[in-house]
Amino acid sequence: MAAVLEDLPAVPDRMARARALHWGLAGLLVLACIASLETGATGVSLSGVATRLVQGVELTRTERVVLYDIRLPRLAMGLLVGAALAVSGAVMQGLFRNPLADPGLVGVGAGAGLGAILAIVLGAALPGWLLGLTGNQLTPFAAFLGGWASTLLLYRVSTRQGRTSVATMLLAGIALGALAGAVSGILVYVADDRQLRDLTFWGLGSLAGASWIKVLAAGPLILLALGAAFALGRGLNGLALGEATAAHIGIDVQRMKSVAILAVAAATGAAVAVSGGIGFIGIVVPHLLRLASGPDHRTLLPNAALLGATLLILADVIARVAIAPAELPIGIVTAILGAPVFLWILLKRRGLVAP
Amino acid sequence: MSLVAEEIRVAYGRREAVRGVGLVALAGHVTAIVGPNGSGKSTFLGALTGSLPFRGTVILNGRDIATLKPWQQAAERAVLPQATHLAFPFTVIEVVRLGLQSGIAGARSDVPMRALARVGLAHHAGRSFQDLSGGEAQRVMLARVLAQVWEPVAEGRPRWLLLDEPVSSLDIAHQVQVMEIARSFARAGGGVVAVMHDLNLTALHADRILVLCEGRRLAFGAPSEVLTSDILSRAYGCNLGVSVPPPPGVPYVLPHAASL
Repeated sequence: MAAVLEDLPAVPDRMARARALHWGLAGLLVLACIASLETGATGVSLSGVATRLVQGVELTRTERVVLYDIRLPRLAMGLLVGAALAVSGAVMQGLFRNPLADPGLVGVGAGAGLGAILAIVLGAALPGWLLGLTGNQLTPFAAFLGGWASTLLLYRVSTRQGRTSVATMLLAGIALGALAGAVSGILVYVADDRQLRDLTFWGLGSLAGASWIKVLAAGPLILLALGAAFALGRGLNGLALGEATAAHIGIDVQRMKSVAILAVAAATGAAVAVSGGIGFIGIVVPHLLRLASGPDHRTLLPNAALLGATLLILADVIARVAIAPAELPIGIVTAILGAPVFLWILLKRRGLVAP
Repeated sequence: MSLVAEEIRVAYGRREAVRGVGLVALAGHVTAIVGPNGSGKSTFLGALTGSLPFRGTVILNGRDIATLKPWQQAAERAVLPQATHLAFPFTVIEVVRLGLQSGIAGARSDVPMRALARVGLAHHAGRSFQDLSGGEAQRVMLARVLAQVWEPVAEGRPRWLLLDEPVSSLDIAHQVQVMEIARSFARAGGGVVAVMHDLNLTALHADRILVLCEGRRLAFGAPSEVLTSDILSRAYGCNLGVSVPPPPGVPYVLPHAASL
């Protein structure tokens, strides 16, 4: 038998390629972070500040505020949100066994959107003590609650006798999305001009509202969810063979599905709450990585976190410099860059474009 | 050591597809399950593998499978499904590696490659699984299953291959190859339970045959006892001759098993 094996052509080791990619992406992420700290509406630059720090010269008050209170929290939020969206996308695609699945499918998007709209349009009507409780963070808080509530509802609807049907969850998600859309429509109809403007900008997504408070609120949740997601690699690989076969090779499928859904709800819910609607990261990032180093989730998930964070931070840099001193909503940037890539994926799947 | 099923009942909604079927399969044997379409063969196997909810008991190597965790069952038996739709573009060797239990063999093990060589597909290791023909995909799945229970006997207990129509999409040469792999697994001390359609192939390779009809057990025993004109005609509801020479001038093809 050994002699037979020695004559075989070498098989490309995609696992090794994925690990090499890991370091490449980490390097890229560092560069993106530097670019993010360097650019902005004011003249403050990282290189200038670094030189002054090395020379032992005090930073000016402006420099401190720009760096510590504006750019650093914005960078941290970009890291968290980008990683959360990309990893959530990869997990959803593994769970639904479909490379075009998206966290929006499990109702997080629709629920979070409805929560945000409720907060923006009806927030002023809330009793004062409730408003005081959330400070000026009512919209992200409501978005998070909405995302969670809808996910848990869908999960309950699609689970019978301890077994969750992902197909039912998908269909129920579509129904819930339509319902949320209708309620949102009513609210948009009664909203005044200022509220409409807020709604539009929330829907387009932005990291502009970044603050350390938001980072501290969303950060632990996202990190916890990412940690749980990274442990799902082998299970999601098995699930690619179908649920029955995954169980046959020793995977506790139901437990894995529960962990996956809760992790995605937590990560996406927190990300959408602090940054609004940012699309395409969750679909484009995992797809590019599958092309580069194969679909093995054990490497795909960590690499998705790195690439997702990198792309979102770079998109944020573009959003800040494209029409400076004004800012583009980042959702516009990711959509302009992501939608053509998404179309290209669809065409390639139909075999119209050579790989 | 054995695989024992008692009074198995499986219902789809109100319709009971398997109505109180029992089976004793011994290690060292190839046990075949045959019967007409809709007789409950695959459903019965689904109960043995624990993938369908059922009433009754399945005892695998002396332990009730209801008390075993998925990974404990996976260490003792591997299951070949009828067909597999793979969701992502894994390569052939990556698919075979999915069968490995992380505990018993690491990614560097040569077991997956040897399993692929066993089904004659080692030179396709780097191809995308999704580009394979139906028959090749079926053999790659068999290699994955073999990689999962590579040693027919481990820790003094036989391991089991549960195969759902393992030769359904294969040409005649590969049908013989797959059945001989099953035979040699049993000869080495493992247990094999296979749902079969081809009665002649079953006659050549099975030690025991369970005949199902309308969800009930019609017969169980050695091929010579079970594959009779009477039993088969009753099971399939049409006239079937056994060991009757074909009419003059009608060619008749029967593979010769190397192990006979």
